[in-house]
Amino acid sequence: MSVAELKERHAAATETVNTLRERLKQKRLQLLDTDVAGYARSQGRSPVTFGPTDLVCCRNLQGHTGKVYSLDWTPERNRIVSASQDGRLIVWNALTSQKTHAIKLPCAWVMTCAFSPTGQSVACGGLDSVCSIFNLNSPTEKDGNLPVSRMLNGHKSYVSACQYVPDEETHLITSSGDQTCVLWDITTGLRTSVFGGEFQSGHTADVLSVSINGSNSRMFVSGSCDSTARLWDSRVASRAVGTFHGHEGDVNAVKFFPDGNRFGTGSDDGTCRLFDIRTGHQLQVYYQQHGDNEVPHVTSIAFSISGRLLFAGYSNRDCYVWDTLLAKVVLNLRSLQNSHEGRISCLGLSADGSALCTGSSDTNLKIWAFGGHRRVI
Amino acid sequence: MPPPEDVEDGTQYSLATEYKGPPLPYDLPRAIPINVERIPVAAVVTDISCKLSLPVVQPILTADQPSKKLKSGVVLDPATVSPTSVIGFDEERVRDSENGASLLSGELSSSSSVLCASRSNSNGNSNELLSNGVGGSDSTIEFRDSFDKSGVVSDVNEKESVDCDELNQQDWVSNESVSSLDYRSSRVSSSKRGQASNSNVTNDYDDGLGGDTCDSKRPHNVTFCDIESDDVGLVDDENVSVDEPQIMRAKRELQCKGKRGSCYRCFKGNRFTEKELCIVCDSKYCSNCVLRAMGSMPEGRKCVTCIGFPIDESKRGSLGKCSRMLKRLLNELEVRQIMKAEKLCEANQLPPEYVCVNGKPLCHEELVILQACPNPPKQLKPGNYWYDKVSGLWGKEGQKPSKIISPHLNVGGPIRLDASNGNTQVYINGREITKVELRMLQLAGVQCAGNPHFWVNEDGSYQEEGQKNTKGYIWGKAGTKLVCAVLSLPVPSRYSNSFEEQLSSLSSRTVPDYLEQRTLQKLLLVGYSGSGTSTIFKQAKILYKDVPFSEDERENIKLKIQSNLYNYLGVILEGRERFEDESSVEMEKKQSSDDTEAVAGSSTDDINGKTTYSIGPRLKAFSDWLLKTMVSGNLEAIFPAASREYAPLVEELWKDAAIQATYNRKSELEMLPSVASYFLERAVDILRIDYEPSDLDILYAEGVTSSNGLACVDFSFPQTAPDDSIDVADQHDSLLRYQLIRVQAKGIGENCKWLEMFEDVGMVIFCVSLSDYDQYCLDGNGYSTNKMLLSRKLFETIVVHPTFDQMNFLLILNKFDLFEEKIERVPLTVCDWFDDFCPVISRNRNNSNSSNINHSPSLGHLAFHYIGVKFKRLYSSLTGRKLYVTPVKGLEPNSVDAALKYSREILKWDDERHNFSVSEYSFYSTDAGSFSH
Repeated sequence: MSVAELKERHAAATETVNTLRERLKQKRLQLLDTDVAGYARSQGRSPVTFGPTDLVCCRNLQGHTGKVYSLDWTPERNRIVSASQDGRLIVWNALTSQKTHAIKLPCAWVMTCAFSPTGQSVACGGLDSVCSIFNLNSPTEKDGNLPVSRMLNGHKSYVSACQYVPDEETHLITSSGDQTCVLWDITTGLRTSVFGGEFQSGHTADVLSVSINGSNSRMFVSGSCDSTARLWDSRVASRAVGTFHGHEGDVNAVKFFPDGNRFGTGSDDGTCRLFDIRTGHQLQVYYQQHGDNEVPHVTSIAFSISGRLLFAGYSNRDCYVWDTLLAKVVLNLRSLQNSHEGRISCLGLSADGSALCTGSSDTNLKIWAFGGHRRVI
Repeated sequence: MPPPEDVEDGTQYSLATEYKGPPLPYDLPRAIPINVERIPVAAVVTDISCKLSLPVVQPILTADQPSKKLKSGVVLDPATVSPTSVIGFDEERVRDSENGASLLSGELSSSSSVLCASRSNSNGNSNELLSNGVGGSDSTIEFRDSFDKSGVVSDVNEKESVDCDELNQQDWVSNESVSSLDYRSSRVSSSKRGQASNSNVTNDYDDGLGGDTCDSKRPHNVTFCDIESDDVGLVDDENVSVDEPQIMRAKRELQCKGKRGSCYRCFKGNRFTEKELCIVCDSKYCSNCVLRAMGSMPEGRKCVTCIGFPIDESKRGSLGKCSRMLKRLLNELEVRQIMKAEKLCEANQLPPEYVCVNGKPLCHEELVILQACPNPPKQLKPGNYWYDKVSGLWGKEGQKPSKIISPHLNVGGPIRLDASNGNTQVYINGREITKVELRMLQLAGVQCAGNPHFWVNEDGSYQEEGQKNTKGYIWGKAGTKLVCAVLSLPVPSRYSNSFEEQLSSLSSRTVPDYLEQRTLQKLLLVGYSGSGTSTIFKQAKILYKDVPFSEDERENIKLKIQSNLYNYLGVILEGRERFEDESSVEMEKKQSSDDTEAVAGSSTDDINGKTTYSIGPRLKAFSDWLLKTMVSGNLEAIFPAASREYAPLVEELWKDAAIQATYNRKSELEMLPSVASYFLERAVDILRIDYEPSDLDILYAEGVTSSNGLACVDFSFPQTAPDDSIDVADQHDSLLRYQLIRVQAKGIGENCKWLEMFEDVGMVIFCVSLSDYDQYCLDGNGYSTNKMLLSRKLFETIVVHPTFDQMNFLLILNKFDLFEEKIERVPLTVCDWFDDFCPVISRNRNNSNSSNINHSPSLGHLAFHYIGVKFKRLYSSLTGRKLYVTPVKGLEPNSVDAALKYSREILKWDDERHNFSVSEYSFYSTDAGSFSH
């Protein structure tokens, strides 16, 4: 078979795929008769209401000297790890608002951090393209720094996000600017599987975030600069399970819905979207019209424990609380007292859903909790 | 927390900030433009009843409130109070206009403490009367008070039945004492900042007001006055002990304790309950409140409102010493972090201007030098000191020496004759010594007759001034140290380092974290791939680091070089195959024309088809295998380990005529980088097992720094010329550290997601390879594009990136040496961007090279200037600012050194531009022009 013939066949196949994809899209649109909000309204549901003191800032975690870029909670014990522009990871006790560890990183340009499921170690990654693991129990070195217990080398560009596989202390998924996600085995420090990259079904631009399904830890979703989100099965690295189109800008944040059947995304186009992984449909767009032409980017998102609320941080310092059912903004954290002076760059809910932690470019983290006697939703 | 409280809090606050009244006729506030938001005026109070309550700043009480209370007539004679209350009115306005110089409140606090003392005797009725009096005296103030009452105490009221008047009143009193105390501390800080003249005025009032406190206050003012002023004469006049402020403050502390021992937040407890103190404002909190009041303690034990403020100097000794209470409340790790923060954070460091050495307040760098020296003065407190740089003697101004510290530290001014206030007419290193020292010298056997002038070195050897020979060693005799101990004079410590040792320790000295932020200048080095950023980075490492590459790094580099070499070899072998095919095809044609029928295509390697590019079967096998490995992409995995095994083969291969013939056509091999020849020619050496890469090898090697996308190196410029160090400004440069950050260009162009992480860099150094103008590579869309244009595109992207708004850019036009050579062969106009380049000296170019250099700038120089101007115009059209340009030959150390020093100069000008007017800046900018060429 000659090269020309091969090329021809390749072109034909590509054409077929594209037409099939288009037909699929058509079919989906045809089937998509309503969105979540429309249905909820038709059912007569009313949005959640927030009193002025329902959500209050109850802790202010000060200690970073640079912008906070990332945070993560432990599943229990209420600790938080945060990563900042000052090149440090700080582990906080959220209850006393005290630091328990301040780790000076070998590479100051850190972008992400994560707590291990047992809370014994933290991981971080950044522009050095390495994901570093720190064991919090290891003795400090002479200069008072915690030694790196494991370096996960292998990415060809910056590490944009990392998350431990739930209940697995030794497995971690990272996303990187080299268009791939990687599942790591921490004990050996080697890549178990690489998602994307040279494969056709991978992302075609930098991957910015990952989120692992809480109820089925083999599934994870990634958001990328190619304005898509992709769903992966960590056992099948060769191809993505699904590709979710819809956004018109870089997908900065992805987060699985608590029930594990849906996930939310936040993008540079100023919208958050809700996708269903079983149907591959987009369920809802969350977009607030702004007066000025400048569309604020969504920097980070988080769901409440029930999924009814979606917290989304925007680049214009807003932090909306969306009612996911009715697609209404029910609260803006920025308007609350004691709110951040800078934009909110990262968000995270504690494992029991009782508190929200926000990290901001004003170098502080704040913990928000429900002030009233209302049940957590 | 009930919301109204906070609202009220806000209004209270805005009352203080929104004042836009007439300027004061009074010069009091002008001296210190203190941000009123940052003055520690109030303790933090929250509602203890609610778990999720927020810390609320207690409203500011007006300064004249206590005096009003005095007026209401309980304790003091109104006549003595009246002057204060007059100032009190001014004071209120001052506070409103955000200057918050609360000098007066300081004295008021003392008066109110008097008041409280008396009040403690009085019963609840008189207290009631007091608060009523406050209510009636002044409407605005009364308003605030009522706010205060409802805002802060309301929850207490609600909880503990409102009819309990006495309890409420007590809360009031303690509440009040919080505020008065805070005023006092803010007073201290304000007078520290050089309000000496004004505070003297208030002291006069003080005298009239309360005789018991004013005497302790006066020396305090005087002391800080002489710390602050550079006026030597003034210092001479006042030989007040430096310890005085400490003593005085300790007294005040006791007063506060005596008043009321309750917690400042929940107002419960008594003086015996265990409490934690704020190291700034002295507020005391019980164990229930301390975590709320102090928050996450980013700077140690400070109230939330005190964060960022300098600590109370009397508490310096207790920094980092944890109380039992905290240990009980928090776990060990948390306590350790708090104490570490308390000791090391910048706000808690000794303010250098409080330390005067030989009559000169120190700057930050000097203080660091002083504290980081091998033998530093222990527990340095604010005050005036003298320092004998030759012998290392150190003491308080006007006193005998207290310690011998490291000599030759460049801190403070020259020592004065009367530094230790001696009257013996015997001089050591230009200082008249004290009687005690003279006694010691006599006991040590030094001849002190005739009022000699001694010259004492750090090792104790002494000479008489004007004489050459050493007369002896002061510390030589065993008895001397004993005598010193008896006379409480210092003796040199065991490890008195010699000067040389100190110098070396200076260079390797670690800068404390809090200073690192201040003194570290970050330079971001970017450029399109192949522009030589890596070379410049490596060059900087070699230039400025004592150990440029560690053993590990060298080992890695060696492997990298070796596998690179196999790569180059692979490229050549690939080329060889191509050339062989081509030539065999040609040969076939020839043969067919000769009518000699060629054998089947597979047997072109046979004797018939042998061309100049053919190699023997053994080498052929090796070559095939190598190419196969390269294609499969695991060359790097195999080769470094196997390099020894294949070294003889490579040697043979390299010497093979076919390879040499291919190598001679290296210009046709696009994949072969220009540096390949450097390594290929030394292939045999490099593949030896004991090969040690030289610095030059490392410089030439590809892919050494780009292993992880980002590399950074910290360095400081060595002080080369001795005349540099004479300049005082340059002296502190040794502390200035630079960090060169090199990022891979890959991915910058498309989305600059992470570029904003570099917003704190001091300057962006953009690197462009001059010799790229005739080179092409595939851009993102798969089109072949001129590399110079790709560089330009990247340059545009970065320059207009919002992160780098107002950033200085230095354009490095790299590979100038290659460029100079290339431009003689390839016209610059092959690049579209440079199509209007028409050098005016073309007629000279017919002459030989040497004459060119002598008479007029070479074509290379002209082209460099032309390209520089192109970029400058582009830059100013995009940003409206000036671009700095310098040519660099990346492989020449001096050239890179000059470029990096140029970047340092740019940063300096930038600093100075902020300090000086525009006209002065223009002077520097002309300087810049001359430097760049």
